[in-house]
Amino acid sequence: MAADGGRAALPCVFSPKSQQFLALCAQDGRLRIWNTDSKTLQQEYVPSAHLSAACTCVTWGPCRAVQDVPQRKRRKCEAGLAPELSDLLALGTAAGSVLIYSTVKGDLHCTLEGGHSGPVNSVQWHPEDSVLYSGSDDTHIAEWDLQTGKVRCKWKADRSAVSSLCISPDGKLLLSAGMTIKMWNLETKEVYRKFTGHSTMVMILCFATTRPPDSNGMYFLSGAAHDRLLSVWQVRSDGKDKNSVVSFTLTDEPQHIDLQTSNCKDEPVRLAVVCKDGQLHLFEHFLNGPCKKPLSPVCSLQVSTMKGDSPVPVPLLAAALCADRQNLMLAYGHHLQPVMEKTPFNTSERHICLVRDVHGTLSLSVDTAVSKVKTPVVNKQSKVLVPGLPGHKAPIKLTPNEAEKRKKEDSTTEMSIEERLEQIELSVGGRDAGKGTSSLQTDSFAVLLVQGLESKDQRILTKIFQTKKEMLIKNTVARLPPQAVLPLLEELSSRLQGHPFAALLIVQWFKAVLTQHTSYLSSLPDLVSQLGSIYHMIESRVKLYQQLTRLHGKLYLLMTQVATNNSAKNVGNISHKAKLVYEEESSDEDEGSRDEGRPEDDSDNWEEDEAAMELTEDKKNHKDEEDDMNDESKANGDSDLDPENESEEE
Amino acid sequence: MVEKSDVRVVRCGGSKINLRPPIISTDSRFVLCASGDSVKVYSTRTEEWLHSLQGHTNQVTGIALNPANHLQVYSCSADGTVKLWDFIDGILIKTFIIGYRLFAIYVSEKHDGISLFTNILPENSDKCFQLVAVHLPKSAEQEVEAKELSAVSSRISPNPSCTAFGREGQYIAFARHLQLNVYFFRKQKTYSFSLKATDKKGAKNAFTCIACHPADDCIATGHEDGKIRLWRNFIHTKEYTYSTQHWHHNAVNTLCFTPEGTNLLSGGIESVLVQWQYGAGNRKEFLPRLGGSILHVSTSSDGQLFCTSHSDNKITVIESSFKVCGVIQGLVKGDAVFTDLMIDPRSKALVLNGKPGHLQFYSLLRDKHLYNLDIVQQEYIYEAGLDQFEVVKAAFDIKGYWLATVEERGQKSSDLEFVLKLWAYDERTQSFVLNTTITAAHTDRIISMCFSSSEETTMLVTTAEDGQFKAWCQGADDQSFWSCDFVGSYHNLTPTNCSFSADSSLLAVSFQEVITIWSPDTWELLTTLCQPPGVVRDLCFGQLSCSKYLIATTTRNLLCCWNLLTCALEWSTSVEVSKLQPDPLSENVAAFSYQSKHTDLFVFKPNEPRPLFTHKNVCSEKIHRAVFVPREELLNNCDESSQWLNRSQLYFLTQNMDLLTFSTATEEDRMLSSSKRLVIDDSIAVTPFYLLLGKHRQQQQKLNTPSHPALLHTPAHVLPAASVLCSMFVSSLLISNTGVREMESSEQEMNSEKEEEHSEEEMEACDSQQELRAQGSVDEVTPKLSKAQERELKRVRKTDFSWMAGLIDSKP
Repeated sequence: MAADGGRAALPCVFSPKSQQFLALCAQDGRLRIWNTDSKTLQQEYVPSAHLSAACTCVTWGPCRAVQDVPQRKRRKCEAGLAPELSDLLALGTAAGSVLIYSTVKGDLHCTLEGGHSGPVNSVQWHPEDSVLYSGSDDTHIAEWDLQTGKVRCKWKADRSAVSSLCISPDGKLLLSAGMTIKMWNLETKEVYRKFTGHSTMVMILCFATTRPPDSNGMYFLSGAAHDRLLSVWQVRSDGKDKNSVVSFTLTDEPQHIDLQTSNCKDEPVRLAVVCKDGQLHLFEHFLNGPCKKPLSPVCSLQVSTMKGDSPVPVPLLAAALCADRQNLMLAYGHHLQPVMEKTPFNTSERHICLVRDVHGTLSLSVDTAVSKVKTPVVNKQSKVLVPGLPGHKAPIKLTPNEAEKRKKEDSTTEMSIEERLEQIELSVGGRDAGKGTSSLQTDSFAVLLVQGLESKDQRILTKIFQTKKEMLIKNTVARLPPQAVLPLLEELSSRLQGHPFAALLIVQWFKAVLTQHTSYLSSLPDLVSQLGSIYHMIESRVKLYQQLTRLHGKLYLLMTQVATNNSAKNVGNISHKAKLVYEEESSDEDEGSRDEGRPEDDSDNWEEDEAAMELTEDKKNHKDEEDDMNDESKANGDSDLDPENESEEE
Repeated sequence: MVEKSDVRVVRCGGSKINLRPPIISTDSRFVLCASGDSVKVYSTRTEEWLHSLQGHTNQVTGIALNPANHLQVYSCSADGTVKLWDFIDGILIKTFIIGYRLFAIYVSEKHDGISLFTNILPENSDKCFQLVAVHLPKSAEQEVEAKELSAVSSRISPNPSCTAFGREGQYIAFARHLQLNVYFFRKQKTYSFSLKATDKKGAKNAFTCIACHPADDCIATGHEDGKIRLWRNFIHTKEYTYSTQHWHHNAVNTLCFTPEGTNLLSGGIESVLVQWQYGAGNRKEFLPRLGGSILHVSTSSDGQLFCTSHSDNKITVIESSFKVCGVIQGLVKGDAVFTDLMIDPRSKALVLNGKPGHLQFYSLLRDKHLYNLDIVQQEYIYEAGLDQFEVVKAAFDIKGYWLATVEERGQKSSDLEFVLKLWAYDERTQSFVLNTTITAAHTDRIISMCFSSSEETTMLVTTAEDGQFKAWCQGADDQSFWSCDFVGSYHNLTPTNCSFSADSSLLAVSFQEVITIWSPDTWELLTTLCQPPGVVRDLCFGQLSCSKYLIATTTRNLLCCWNLLTCALEWSTSVEVSKLQPDPLSENVAAFSYQSKHTDLFVFKPNEPRPLFTHKNVCSEKIHRAVFVPREELLNNCDESSQWLNRSQLYFLTQNMDLLTFSTATEEDRMLSSSKRLVIDDSIAVTPFYLLLGKHRQQQQKLNTPSHPALLHTPAHVLPAASVLCSMFVSSLLISNTGVREMESSEQEMNSEKEEEHSEEEMEACDSQQELRAQGSVDEVTPKLSKAQERELKRVRKTDFSWMAGLIDSKP
């Protein structure tokens, strides 16, 4: 059938009003309901005939309130109004039956059968009454009475299949379409108007205004298969409405549209159209009479994902305009696992491309979320700031105390020329001195260090910093030219942040630098900011020193006790046993006599058994305890010395 | 409507659903639980909230299925009434007024009439709970006073799980402290058994819960030290025995036998559901990591579903194969709300700390828990006395791109350990990604935290007890990690609050009594504002046109408003404000004041000291948490008193963790007008099998007459001769007087309209079919009926059927 050829799209609908759910029929014939708030699979329903009679169309029923609001006198603090819930879904199947599914119950509500002989192409709920309309390939429209579940009325609507239906917001008119669009009066079931213009099957029908039909302000939209235009038709009271008044250009055949009517005069009608090529087009237009030129979208939106380095487009499945007029609810990705997202949109940009990581979230099996816990991504790329690292504290130049003042002075008062000259001289002298030494001793450590610092060669530097000889370090630092001092300090501080073991060696270098080059360092104008991070680091490391030594002391105490305990046990086990045989008996008697006094033990034998068991256990415990006692006394004797040792060490 | 203003305080969900054990309906389709002053009905399949049974005026304290009719449920409440509901349609059938505060309800089917056993707290004595048997009188009226009370025990444990009915209602067992009492109804005697407070190993023996075996004379008791004792032979006081089983390491919170009595379920703080095989010694199965300690366990009547309710306000539905098939999650209530109430700018969900170590996202629009965001990412061990990481502070930036959290450990003991984490929202993966972790951001506890509100640069300010406040900025370099930008302090005072002005050009930090104003660009201290009496408690800048004002409240009942242009005090009033909350979308500021045991609300604009709106006596508790939530659709109230609710809605949390809000009349009207009930018949054939089998079965049921069981269940020696019975039996097979039966057996259903229609239809059916024959045969048989049957028939005749006539007339 032509209609089926055009209907490659799988049904995919957001629930009305607040878009809480997304109902989607995937290729496997299952209906899945996704929660757009938590972005998880809410329910999965497998129609009993999902393989033979695939679901062809899905429509959400009008929202129902969960319960009636009691009109009695209200108390001060009662429950708020129950939120509106979109509950019922009507599913048309290829077999001609209509299923009604309840999301609240998670089960089929009822089935409507015996209405059609061909596949159902479109299902529409009446906005107020509990009436459902369905259009089918068998060229008929059926009106179902949901209270009884029977066909109330059925009429032939077209010569070809009925591919699309739409009910006016006031519930009085019905649009049906095959090739031609017909407007029916629902009371009399008579054709009210006919609109011709599409050459292919009309797949989409949608009312654009809520105003009554007597005035000329009634508009509706239609879109047909293989047609890259959406047409707007005006229903005029004078009957001069043979041609469409406005058309919107698209990039491909429309698949899913959502329309937001205007509430007031200066608000345009908004239209979101998802095309077959996976793009979304947004239109804003004031519906006011004919417009000759086809309108182009205000904004086009596309989703893509990165596959390797090249972006790959991700098809959009559905889109809905949120009630707050600022956000757009999108569903994209695969039908089996769509990704839902609420994005704010701005119409200032004509083309928007959202880059999303779709593959990262795709998994083979989807469970309905039971745990309701989301885990945010924690990867290695995140940074960890611990006390001492730069960035943990403010860069020191800005401390509000004296440092700041000094800095301010420095920055405000310019250096006199004399000072500058002096500095130049100093540095020149330093460089000369450096050169002098280097010319004498080419293989010296200092030269190597300077070279390493200049070339930032990590290999050389690591080699140099591995020396442990104090004298060598001192001499090397002493021979260092002043301009190499700062780079050295920076290198040292960066190395100090690394492994604490390496820091042990670095500290010696630090010491040497600070003792040898204090005069040069103090002459630097931006000394505070240069050395700030080093200062922070030292401070934070030292801060923990006291606690660590305390911990060390405690651990040491424990470990020595454990050690002595073990050794004492190994040695003293045999000798103690003989001693204890005698004491055991005396304690046994004590225990026994106490137990006999218990009233509950008389009452049942079982308890006595237990008691007896416990007695023997107690004996053992007792013995063990005494063992321990002896051991401990020994251990204590040993460990008495420990605290003193500790304090000495500290 | 209420007095002058049409703004009302309404509860908007988030109430506790774990107070009492949930009930699974007989067909396993619904879970019922007591929640606040209503009973909530959930679907077991979809975990959706279907509706609630409203009518009680105080906390619902117990629910029990009506043993006589499995579609009805009894609920008792602290308001002193017991109500009978049809829970499928949510209809109140009857109210029994008892007049004492009720604390639990136990229903037994084996007692004549309907007897309820309720925990009662008499008004005169405090802290003394009585167990009382109540006979519910039968009457057609809606409200009945139940006066037949007889005390079973005058002192029982306040814990309702310490009382349980025994096998077929023969006895009732209740425990208190160290004493187990069993009251036998036949003998009208109480036997008591007591344990010693501690045994040799120092274990605590106090009873914590009781369950009775449904078919065996066996009572299972849970104890504080985690032991389960199975008591047998307690019919004789002297020769009773018990066996002990021990797995739980801490108190056993709940025990429950499966309906056949083959298994015993137990749960405790360790959040592991344990299934013990009855009579098989120590064989057991476990279902671990259910999250939150288990408070109650209940089973469905066919034993296919278990329900556990947890301390984190959650009900878990578990299949009998020990597979979790559903979670009904309410607003998670920890010990307290550490974080403020926040709104996630992306999803507009309410965010606060939920499960330990998690932030919970709760949709206010739908009154539904969305998910928990795992911040700490460490396994939480449910054990008493452990010190574990908890999320204590959280903040969103204005667009929802950044989330800052503070997790903390060591509130109770040892050294304080805390971590500041900054999460970036990654649009590609649609989830938060950890950006920077800062350990020991301050040397002492972080008191408050806020993001700058400008849209270009984001900045986070934290204040801590070490007397410093720090400003954190995103590094300009490569990866936009966060680093400290500035450390500020003021005379070594402890900073308490911090707040950015609307355009982020100013930062106000309060140091006890002094408010300092800083410029975030240059970090200059611009000015200090001081109003001596009292430490600053809350601080906020005015919004929009009032952004030149700074409002602060102090602990000494002062609300001050400074003009930042003149740096002078604009106005101040003396009012005790417990919470100050500015609306980000308008100039309005809401202040909750707590005076003389109730809270009042004032809404004002900072430019004038006169409140726009006042609401006296909002609730009786102090309010510390409140938040303005932007509306999805703007209202256009012109009324001055409700104008402040046009753009956003004010939600607040009481100390009982009830989430309340203010609603306006127009809002309600709109909701009423838009919500219409869709009537859809759902009794239509579901499958082709049903079409075939269902019809057949219905016919069979029609044939099934009430005289069958009466005949078959009477002892043989009492029956008349077989020849007499034969004709009666045959004729009874012909009669279909289901309609009559319906009415006599369930007079309580009279109130439900649906039932009426139903029965009426059947009546018509049977009338049309076999009216003549039926009447004839009944007349024939009557002389030969047994006395019991005669009595019943008389009763049927006496029953008033006038209501039916009215109905038939009314039907078109």
